[in-house]
Amino acid sequence: MSGVQLSQLVKRYGDIEVVKAIDLEVQPHEFVVLVGPSGCGKSTTLRMIAGLEEISAGSVTINDRVVNRVAPKDRDVAMVFQNYALYPHLNVADNIAFGLRIRKTPKDEVDRLVAEVADILGLTDYLKRRPADLSGGQRQRVAMGRAIVRHPMVFLFDEPLSNLDAKLRSQMRAEIKRLHKRLDVTSIYVTHDQVEAMTLADRIVVMNDGLIEQVGTPMDLFLNPANTFVAGFIGSPPMNQFDALVSGSPEAPIAEIGDQRMALPSLPELSERIGSKVTVGIRPEHAQVLTPSEHLVHVQLEIVETLGSEALLHTTLENNPFIIKTETEGYYSKLEEVSAFSVDPAQVKVFDIETGRVFGQSGA
Amino acid sequence: MQPESRINRIIHHLQREWQIYVMLLPTIIWFIVFLYKPMYGLQIAFKDYSIFRGVAKSPWIGLEHFEYLFSNDQFIRAVWNTIKISALNLLFGFPAPIILALMFNEVLHATYKKTAQTIVYLPHFISSVIIAGIVITAFSPSVGIVNTVLEWFGIDSIYFLTKPEWFRPIFVGTGIWQEAGFGSIVFLAAIAGVSPSLYESAVVDGANRWQMMWKITIPSILPTIIIMLIIRIGNIMEVSFELIILLYQPATYETADVVNTFVYRQGLQNGQYDFAAAAGLFNALVAFVLVMVANTLSRRYSRTSLW
Repeated sequence: MSGVQLSQLVKRYGDIEVVKAIDLEVQPHEFVVLVGPSGCGKSTTLRMIAGLEEISAGSVTINDRVVNRVAPKDRDVAMVFQNYALYPHLNVADNIAFGLRIRKTPKDEVDRLVAEVADILGLTDYLKRRPADLSGGQRQRVAMGRAIVRHPMVFLFDEPLSNLDAKLRSQMRAEIKRLHKRLDVTSIYVTHDQVEAMTLADRIVVMNDGLIEQVGTPMDLFLNPANTFVAGFIGSPPMNQFDALVSGSPEAPIAEIGDQRMALPSLPELSERIGSKVTVGIRPEHAQVLTPSEHLVHVQLEIVETLGSEALLHTTLENNPFIIKTETEGYYSKLEEVSAFSVDPAQVKVFDIETGRVFGQSGA
Repeated sequence: MQPESRINRIIHHLQREWQIYVMLLPTIIWFIVFLYKPMYGLQIAFKDYSIFRGVAKSPWIGLEHFEYLFSNDQFIRAVWNTIKISALNLLFGFPAPIILALMFNEVLHATYKKTAQTIVYLPHFISSVIIAGIVITAFSPSVGIVNTVLEWFGIDSIYFLTKPEWFRPIFVGTGIWQEAGFGSIVFLAAIAGVSPSLYESAVVDGANRWQMMWKITIPSILPTIIIMLIIRIGNIMEVSFELIILLYQPATYETADVVNTFVYRQGLQNGQYDFAAAAGLFNALVAFVLVMVANTLSRRYSRTSLW
């Protein structure tokens, strides 16, 4: 079936390697999101799959066929671009039909397919309009229509929603998800927005500096980040991280940060680190301010950001910024008085201070 | 109430944006001094003008000059010559820079492309006098390269520049050689403005370079082409007359004499300023109508227009 495999894929511009020998296997029907900061190589990877960038080394396999030397049109992929790439001089119907006409599809077949796609995307009433007369969301739908109409084996999305405003973006996100459910086509989606990645993906690939940091399901990445980069990238707001000294015993290790003490999970690697420093990570959601506990960690509250049902408490923990996410219901008036939190040691992540790798996991 | 608040708004606007208007000023002054002030003198087209009496004191004679103009065979001939030369210019000279730009766009080798561009831009920067000199030499019956080549094929040499039937092809060809390269810059800029993702999307759809040129590049630069066409049509009556004066001779007046050269000969060489002004005014009126018509048509059919 129509899976995609990348093996030891490299992209070089002169001496600069922007994609550094990455391996990835995308299963048939899977929705995989490549996410990472600007310049991490995610778009370049996608463009190599599409055939728009030459492959410097390694291989791309689509549907069990190595496509390194195959022209983009013969790879049976369709791509949705960030700026829609609609032809301004053609109306919606002609834009959708462009690829079919290039391939000399018979006219009634073109008409039938365009009508079908327009129906799926709710564009039937707009077929005669030019792109300039459409809203951003409608343009994005036309761009997707152009991809869908060819019934490709793989969809490639290059930041398709980044030109839309926040509200439209969440609408279109849901639409893409619904579309994928309906068409069940293997999809590779590039974004820098971790919320998009979390909501759309079957599996997320976190990239940084041309390398894959971690691959996993959204919840897997959220709960078990492989390193400090993933921990700092996934989640909104991201995981709090600070350096601390390990003390206590191998059975009950403790993190010391200034005058504060915090219980750490008892991990085999930690026993060797007693007396040295590590990076401690705590999700804003896991810091409890509402349940009384004996093991309180004291913080200085700076501002309370209320989001409705939730609030973000911006605090400092021994001069490190520390964000706490908490519910507001029934507690709103007390939030201004928060001065300490507690955390279940099982939810505390400990990372190697040098490599950033998490302790207690076999790794990504 | 209404008009007052509007005046206030304008004053407010000027106070806020005065720097922009200051930057506009030199252009406005240029227009006034060189284009609007001379219009005052246009009245001599309707007067029996004499330099001794001046513009204001010369007596009005109504449309007498125009009546004379339209009964003057030389003037009628000049109008037709202008139209014919302009039509040829439009037919061959207008598409030339577009084709050139499309061709440059397909050249992938950067150094080769730059060299080729420089070579075709060059004639634009050469004075018309030198251009005419080159043309006259090239077509010379004794030493000209054209006749030399003809002789290789056993064809007798032709004195091209004295033959009325050769004047228009040579003139239009020279114009293309001189300006097509430079004119292609506008279209190259328009092509550069086409989003690369349009081409990438077409590549994924399976379009080849030929299809991309016809289905993406040309439609995308069509607004630019139309604007340039409108300007060109507006200038139809303005055949580049320096080059004509440099290339024509009494033997080729039959096909070469255009309204501007006619005005020049009548006005400056024969001193008939009022008569020449009438001819020039007629020329300008025709040009004005042409621009209006072209612009209106373009706005109606292609949503692109100068104003």
